[in-house]
Amino acid sequence: MNVIGPLLRARLRRDAVQLTLWIACTLALAAAAVVGVRGQFPTVEDRQGLLAAAIANPVILLFRGLPSGSDEAAFTTFLIAPFLMLLAALMSTFLAVRHTRGDEETGRAELIAATPAGRSAALIATVGHGILADVVLGALVALAFLGFGYPARGSLVLGLSVTATGLVFFAVALVAAQVVRTSRVANAIGVWAVLIGLLVCGLGNALGTPSADLQRMRSAPLAWISPYGWAENVRAFDADDARPLLLSLALTVVCALVAFALHRSRDLGASLLPAPRGAAAAGRLLSGPLGLAWREGRGAVIGWTVGGLVVGLLATRLSSVIAQIGDTIPSVQAVLQALAAQGSLAQGAVEVFFTLAGILAACAGVQMIARLRQDEAAGLAEPLLAAAVSRSRWLGAGLALSAAAIIGVLGAAVVGAAVGLATTDGGDTSLLRDAVVSAGGQALAAAAIAVIAALAFVFVPRLAVLIGWAVVGVAAIVGLFGPLLGLPDAVVRASPLASVPVVSGDTVDPRGAVVWAIVVIVAGGAAVLGIRRREVVADR
Amino acid sequence: MTSVVYTLRTVPSGRHPPEGVLRIQRHPLKGDVTRRIVRDMSTAIRTAGLRKRYGRTVALDDLDLEVAPGEIHGFLGPNGAGKSTTIRILLGLARADDGTAEVLRADPWHDAASLHARLAYVPGDVTLWPNLSGGETIDLLARLRGYGRSSAYRRERDRLLHAFALDPRTKGRAYSKGNRQKVALVAAFACPADLLLLDEPTSGLDPLMEVVFQQELRRVHEHGTTVLLSSHILSEVEQLCDRVSLVRAGRVAETGTLDDLRQLTRTQVSFADTGAALPPLPGAHDVERSNGRVRFTVDSDDVASVLPTLGAARVTGLRVEPPSLEELFLRRYGERVDAGVGE
Repeated sequence: MNVIGPLLRARLRRDAVQLTLWIACTLALAAAAVVGVRGQFPTVEDRQGLLAAAIANPVILLFRGLPSGSDEAAFTTFLIAPFLMLLAALMSTFLAVRHTRGDEETGRAELIAATPAGRSAALIATVGHGILADVVLGALVALAFLGFGYPARGSLVLGLSVTATGLVFFAVALVAAQVVRTSRVANAIGVWAVLIGLLVCGLGNALGTPSADLQRMRSAPLAWISPYGWAENVRAFDADDARPLLLSLALTVVCALVAFALHRSRDLGASLLPAPRGAAAAGRLLSGPLGLAWREGRGAVIGWTVGGLVVGLLATRLSSVIAQIGDTIPSVQAVLQALAAQGSLAQGAVEVFFTLAGILAACAGVQMIARLRQDEAAGLAEPLLAAAVSRSRWLGAGLALSAAAIIGVLGAAVVGAAVGLATTDGGDTSLLRDAVVSAGGQALAAAAIAVIAALAFVFVPRLAVLIGWAVVGVAAIVGLFGPLLGLPDAVVRASPLASVPVVSGDTVDPRGAVVWAIVVIVAGGAAVLGIRRREVVADR
Repeated sequence: MTSVVYTLRTVPSGRHPPEGVLRIQRHPLKGDVTRRIVRDMSTAIRTAGLRKRYGRTVALDDLDLEVAPGEIHGFLGPNGAGKSTTIRILLGLARADDGTAEVLRADPWHDAASLHARLAYVPGDVTLWPNLSGGETIDLLARLRGYGRSSAYRRERDRLLHAFALDPRTKGRAYSKGNRQKVALVAAFACPADLLLLDEPTSGLDPLMEVVFQQELRRVHEHGTTVLLSSHILSEVEQLCDRVSLVRAGRVAETGTLDDLRQLTRTQVSFADTGAALPPLPGAHDVERSNGRVRFTVDSDDVASVLPTLGAARVTGLRVEPPSLEELFLRRYGERVDAGVGE
């Protein structure tokens, strides 16, 4: 009896909207990149200039691909490929966990396993589903680039590299889902793997060896331990060498086999790591909505804070690397001098990294608000509100933890920056002042985003989670890539991440600080007032 | 039911010293005397003309409910009749479109937080925080209501954990349905409350735990706690409740003691059918002869008038069956209830 077919169809049906949106966003990003490149860097000279600047400045390389020449298609790939791969990896991670551990947690897997499908058919169907999703995504990316008139071979290789990266992280998430007991933890492991992979590859590229004409970079060995490194070293539209993807394929197969082996050897609902027993009585902290919010969110807050620390450390440590490269390679030195005309390069690095820390802080802040809604949807607001907690205190606890998370992440970034300076010979201590100003500005930006999420939570609760993350995503893309995509200044400034105070030269440029402060106060006040008039909206 | 009311001086106990009234009641049949301290107020719950709609669905349509202090009030009705919506409004989780609701003399929407320190709620489908253990959840809920740190609370909690045979160290996600229910019940019973709102609280409990639940409910009842008990387990309601309200399509169709309700429903009478001609049966309805028995129904306050005739006819195998709550329920809500139902 064919049981895989119905299970696979059920998965496609369940994910139809979600995957369509996800793939559409990925394609939109690819298209925006091509349009942006054609608008901003129409000539070979423009592209050569940016490549030289990027190679001279490891900060840029950290968030871009591998420079592979100034051909338009190769240049576009350099700018956008890692993000296409990132989206594929995240899509695959969530897909893998949703249909394995997620189903086991909710008891759906039990219903399926009790039919002739048995225990393993569901996992096989999930693997088929993941492969299908990544292949479709890769094929559409290839078609999109083909549609823009880029060479067929390069489009195919780029599509393959996106598919391969998605599959690697799909398989990693499958293993995570077998090892831990809850989908929340499995997703966290998967996302950490995706982000660490991206960071390692970026570092490996940044620390690589540039060619003499500053148009190409050879990855350092570090990049070769990351699946992104393999996928970027195919050099689509340049070398078009798909062999590194064999590494991706091998890792995918190994992880999938491990997942199947673990799955076969365990009970349904059980995990490799046993679920820890809880305390018999509540600790001191767990005595109110704030204590509860902390208890629920502390793992995530700590995770984001570690991220902030790493980013802060990189912000000041990397500037010393920039100086070293400048000393050894004359052509880099020339580019650096040109860039430094608009303020010190190290200062620019601090600004870029703290924008990144601001994104992490905004994620942490929004997640704490999203938790409120997820708990409410699951019916967990009722026991609180039925037990002498007012609505405003309930929201207040969420906002307070959100604020604490934002301050924690950016505080950790400042600490990281200080440590980075202290461990660098001849570090420019004025950078610490820049870091503090940027951290304060980004805290304001993250708070504005979190407050908008809170406003959505109060007034459109069912859409709150979606709106919250969408605001983070749009603000991050517009703030980080807006200028590159050729967006008008007015649009870029609409992202709080790109319009809060920074240090420029020796003065503090307040930019939109006042506006965002007003947004925080007004939207926060509206949320706190509005929650008093709102009913509890459970999803059940 | 006779009751003598003595006013009592204020007794400080817990956070909310009851400005109390000692109500001594003598049960008319059993003759035992109960003493309860109840709050001096006319009603514990009063709603008037509650209306609530969700989109096009009318959940509540002019619902009037009154629950007297110190009573266990059964709240009955089929699924979708509006019981849970009413309880959500009484908790201030939802707001009525129209009408008024008063709980312990407070407005459940505006005074929710202060009101909730005095009441406990058990839903029929308990959701727990997945990563909190049962013990932590119970402590958290107690602390939110202002208890939870005293040694009296700890003793009571431990006693209840033992009585309900609940392991407090299991995480929320790992509890079965019945055990989740127990967590909520222990949390509700562990702290003193003036009012318990119970929305099908025993769904998923095994019969042993059902008995424990009834014991605990009687215990808090003795201490003067008012209880609104929504339940589908009619034997539970029959054994526990002083009065019941029957809800239908968003309004209270009937309310009263079980005796009151029985009066409204006919009693079923049956005797062995010898094949002889039937004597005249005054007040009898739905006379039917089948399976060797004669059955008919008679208005419950008319039962006595039919007995002399039956005595004169020297019928055998006489059965007089006042309607069970289940029958009341089926008669009210069943599409068609056969004469034999409930036998």
